[in-house]
Amino acid sequence: MVGLSVGEKHFIQGGIAQDLRSDGRKRLTYRPIYVETGVIPQAHGSARVRLGATDVIASVKAELGKPSALQPDKGNIAIYVDCSPTAAPMFEGRGGEELSTELSVALHRCLLGGKSGAGAGIDPTSLVVVEGKVCWDLYIDGLVISSDGNLLDALAAAIKAALSNTGIPKVDVAADATSDEQPEVNISDEEFLQFDTSGIPVIVTLTKVGRHYIVDATSEEESQMSSAVSISVNRKGHICGLTKRGGVGLDPSIILDMISVAKHVSEQLINKLDSEIAAAEASEEES
Amino acid sequence: MAAKPGSAPVTYSPNLGQKTRPPIFKDNDLDWVRPDGRGFHQCRPAFFRTGAVNSASGSAYAEFGSTKVIVSVFGPRESKKAMMYSDTGRLNCNVSYTTFATPVRGQGSDHKEFSSMLHKALEGAIMLETFPKTTVDVFALVLESGGSDLPVVISCASLALADAGIMMYDLVAAVSVSCLGKNLVIDPVLEEESYQDGSLMLTCMPSRYEVTQLTFTGEWSTPDINEAMQLCLDACNKLGKVMRTCLKEAASGSQE
Repeated sequence: MVGLSVGEKHFIQGGIAQDLRSDGRKRLTYRPIYVETGVIPQAHGSARVRLGATDVIASVKAELGKPSALQPDKGNIAIYVDCSPTAAPMFEGRGGEELSTELSVALHRCLLGGKSGAGAGIDPTSLVVVEGKVCWDLYIDGLVISSDGNLLDALAAAIKAALSNTGIPKVDVAADATSDEQPEVNISDEEFLQFDTSGIPVIVTLTKVGRHYIVDATSEEESQMSSAVSISVNRKGHICGLTKRGGVGLDPSIILDMISVAKHVSEQLINKLDSEIAAAEASEEES
Repeated sequence: MAAKPGSAPVTYSPNLGQKTRPPIFKDNDLDWVRPDGRGFHQCRPAFFRTGAVNSASGSAYAEFGSTKVIVSVFGPRESKKAMMYSDTGRLNCNVSYTTFATPVRGQGSDHKEFSSMLHKALEGAIMLETFPKTTVDVFALVLESGGSDLPVVISCASLALADAGIMMYDLVAAVSVSCLGKNLVIDPVLEEESYQDGSLMLTCMPSRYEVTQLTFTGEWSTPDINEAMQLCLDACNKLGKVMRTCLKEAASGSQE
């Protein structure tokens, strides 16, 4: 928890009402975003995203597994978030568990779409090697290193960057496999397949403080929020997921207004993020 | 809502013999019939009854088609010693499934995601400042999972809280909508949920016209969002009335 005096609280709230926040930003401006890819060599793809003092790492690991019987044409994707005690003492032990689950669930909802896979950023059918027998299980792990608010947006950006950095090894399936046996596979260590990451949405969290809402709130600003709505928007401008935090109720018309604001903000964020990812990839190749 | 206020509550019995697999939706397949023969914008009959558990401060039982849920509320009671002092009350929510709730025998374990969603949906409606230093426990048990479990749990929990006499701004009614192809289907059953392309769950306080929780999954365009939210708000309004009637009936029954 952030300990703030009454004066500081007023300062934050007053600044937001006047469209000039404590760090000089306007209500709908993001902090500068820095992306670094390939930070974890052991993973198939990884990225580190810094958003002000918020610092997160996402890694993608792929393992060969079996698709579930109900959905034989789809691979499995799992998202886990870990809040490390290095970020804040309250994450020690089981303290971070609640936040971790909340973030994992929100990311799952915002990035992976509905049950049938519609609206998913990552196409689960692209993970299948042999239908009903072999598929890739994709494990996406997020780690919060330092927390200064707006973890969800940063994690979503890190996951997007990590997936663009991911290379899944090409798999050759032995042709003589009989129908009921698990076919033999040969994992290539030279050829890698890349994901199409253009469809992966970004998450824009609008935090309502007083009568106004702001994007990319710092933890001090988050402590003053009445409620926050996280909206994931893809490049086409479609909403791919939405979650609300904070107990205070909202008028339905405000939510619709927030959605249209989020759409507008997401365009800039997607462009900014894409150019940062491209720059990060380029600098990784150079070194 | 089909259950008319005032009339004897009618429970809906699922027609087990008629388990036709729904055809996979085509884009313009508008003449598709829902597994239980409802219209696209028609909710299942709702049945609520308070006072389901004797030992609890308040409890409620809800039945929406084959979804059956029981919620007990304990407290307000003293917070655990390990908890820090708080000048507002605490709300502790837990949702669990019985082992026989799902078609495949489950683990019967706690549902963390639903528990936190239930907490978020209710905390905005409860006047937590009326019971400082204490905790209210809300335990929900899904007896049978027949689709739209979470909305039923939330509505039932708010009724149980009202039954326990916990001060609230308003009852919380919850409704979900599934997007199947181009159609919006309200109050989906389990079968429809497994085919859905997207879903929306809205919980609101009908008389205050305030949304306490809202979630989307899947891809939505703005006109769809507007339509689905309007559908949900309408349905929440009607559901709120059914819940209110149930409370009134319970209160007038105890006076006699």
